[in-house]
Amino acid sequence: MTWMRRTALSAALVAGLAVQAPAEEVKFGLLQDFTAVYTFVTGQYNQGQRDYLTLINEEGGIDGNTFTAIVRDTGNQPQRGIEAYNRAKEEGAILFDFLSTPVSAAILDQAGADARVVITPAHGRGDASDGTVFPYIFPMFATYWAQAANLVEFMKTNGGGIEGKKIAIVHIDSPFGREPLPILDALAEQEGFEYQSFPYASPGNEQSSAWSEVRRYRPDFVLIWGAGGGQAVSVRTAIQNGIAPEQIHSVIWLAETDAANVGPQMKGVKRFEATASGTELPIIQRIQEKVIATGKGSGEEANVGNSYYNLGVATMAVAVEAARLGLEGGEPLTGETLKAGFEKIAGYDAEGLMPPITITAEDHQGGGAGRISEWDGEAWVPVSDWHAAYPELVRKVIEESAAHYGEGN
Amino acid sequence: MAYFVELLINGALTGLMYSLVALGFVLIYKSAGVPNLAQGAVVMVAGYAVWLFLSWGLPVWLSIPAAMVTMFLFGLVVERLLLRRMVGQPVIMVVMLTLGLEILLRGLVPGILGSAPKSIDVGIGFAPVIIGDVFINRTSLVGGIVALLLVGASLLFFRTRLGTKLRAVSDDHISSWAVGISVERAIGISWGLAGIAAVVAGALWGSSQGVDWTLSMLLFPAIAVVILGGVDSIPGVVVGGLVVGILGSVIPGYLDSIVGGSTRDVVTSLIILLTIMVRPFGIFGREDIERI
Repeated sequence: MTWMRRTALSAALVAGLAVQAPAEEVKFGLLQDFTAVYTFVTGQYNQGQRDYLTLINEEGGIDGNTFTAIVRDTGNQPQRGIEAYNRAKEEGAILFDFLSTPVSAAILDQAGADARVVITPAHGRGDASDGTVFPYIFPMFATYWAQAANLVEFMKTNGGGIEGKKIAIVHIDSPFGREPLPILDALAEQEGFEYQSFPYASPGNEQSSAWSEVRRYRPDFVLIWGAGGGQAVSVRTAIQNGIAPEQIHSVIWLAETDAANVGPQMKGVKRFEATASGTELPIIQRIQEKVIATGKGSGEEANVGNSYYNLGVATMAVAVEAARLGLEGGEPLTGETLKAGFEKIAGYDAEGLMPPITITAEDHQGGGAGRISEWDGEAWVPVSDWHAAYPELVRKVIEESAAHYGEGN
Repeated sequence: MAYFVELLINGALTGLMYSLVALGFVLIYKSAGVPNLAQGAVVMVAGYAVWLFLSWGLPVWLSIPAAMVTMFLFGLVVERLLLRRMVGQPVIMVVMLTLGLEILLRGLVPGILGSAPKSIDVGIGFAPVIIGDVFINRTSLVGGIVALLLVGASLLFFRTRLGTKLRAVSDDHISSWAVGISVERAIGISWGLAGIAAVVAGALWGSSQGVDWTLSMLLFPAIAVVILGGVDSIPGVVVGGLVVGILGSVIPGYLDSIVGGSTRDVVTSLIILLTIMVRPFGIFGREDIERI
């Protein structure tokens, strides 16, 4: 080796050391509701999150940084959520996922003040997609408004047009259930359809009077907007009222467990999905090979690849990608550098697990893309491509709502 | 008119299914004098028990009796470990104990057996019974018939020697002891019987919505049923269930689309409030019952 080559190598090594922060343990606070309202999803979702972090650690971490999940139950209670947040923050957590709209809402301002990243995939405030108003909140995936827009567009393109048609939205009587109504107002005006909402009382174990009314409304399409066991009741009661499964379209919260509850009659029901399900995806294959097969999985193997498991994997895939990008500057990973990493994500699809998402300082929703899938009797089969529907309209609703929030603070 | 009739019939049948939950509450109160606020969670546990036996490959006709035996034993264990210490204690402490049990079971059982909804197929057909333009929910129809049969069986039970002993225990623990009745055993049996009623409720409601923690939420309409019917009245369970079910179906059926929200829980709450204000012991309840 000549002295020139030795010098060049040494310089490169020194330069490399200069831009790379020392490897450390990166902590994510997965403080979720394991015992109350969100129990229908939390177990599988959290399992996917932990298994993905284990996979990354097994593969050597990111620049040697390893990831640790701090997992605690909040019971969907803001008070317990705040306590768990403060504790995890003291322990060094820089990212939080509460998977609970009330808990996320309670932490919203505090997390901003503490410069801690809060991800709110498939829950939380839709207007948090506006990064100029909510700098530390990252919905990352399609908000409920983007989901409703995608579903309506699917009805339009696959139902012989939507002008003059009638949509019945049957929803749980809660802020979450009423969430799509503003975007439906805007879409009805733009596309010339009519809709009527039919609320039912929480948790939705009895909906017969709502569906008797829906049947007499004679809708062309039905949109169901609930979660957990209430979703199975919605589908069953709809079909019992003569509504064809093909007419039923659902928010993201309709999974394999609901299909099992409904039975064979579920075939033909459609839903919005933000991530693909199944075990054939490369990222899930790697988890099976390096985490599940080696006995390091965090839950039942049967859950691997189902809708909520894969959603959990996708959330951590995006978070780890943000960490990777955040570390590129050579500084240690903090809330600020992680936030910067999130805002550098461009066209990331976790090896086909989800639509390519691009997060910017303005758009924390990541573009709001998704697709529609249909239950074929055994699995969810995609019936549309990944895309964002009515993006300008959705963005307008987001900005209006965020501005309203901004005025109040 | 058909719309009204449909709301009326489905409401009545749903109310009878609430009666299945309420029956467990009344059985315990009538036998042991204990207002059991854990009955919703007991129904949830019973639903999980049925699911567990089904998942082990047992046919439904065997899973339900197996779950009944399990829940009867569960009732005996609850009495032995918790309730026995409370004999002779103020009723408010027993109420607090059952409330604690409700919270414990609601967190513990889904935590152990899995919180995602579990499916139960008890073999009830999916298609509604259609009469003209009236669609009747088949699960509710079966549930309503089963509720009436179970209430009838309960009425007969309280005319037996053992049933009479349980009523005596409910009236006065000390006097029952004095005449040689085992108060502990009587309370244990009442919890066991409530467990059996819970299996029927858990299986039917679970077949409709799946088994998860939300089954425990059936406590709220069941409380309205027992307050209206009378906390110590078995016939009151049927009448209370019918009224709660019908009003909870017909009123929301006409009002919800106007007010833009669900009024069912408001109706249920009003039934509770108005009953307590106007007739605190319920329609068929004994006037001298101890209230909380």
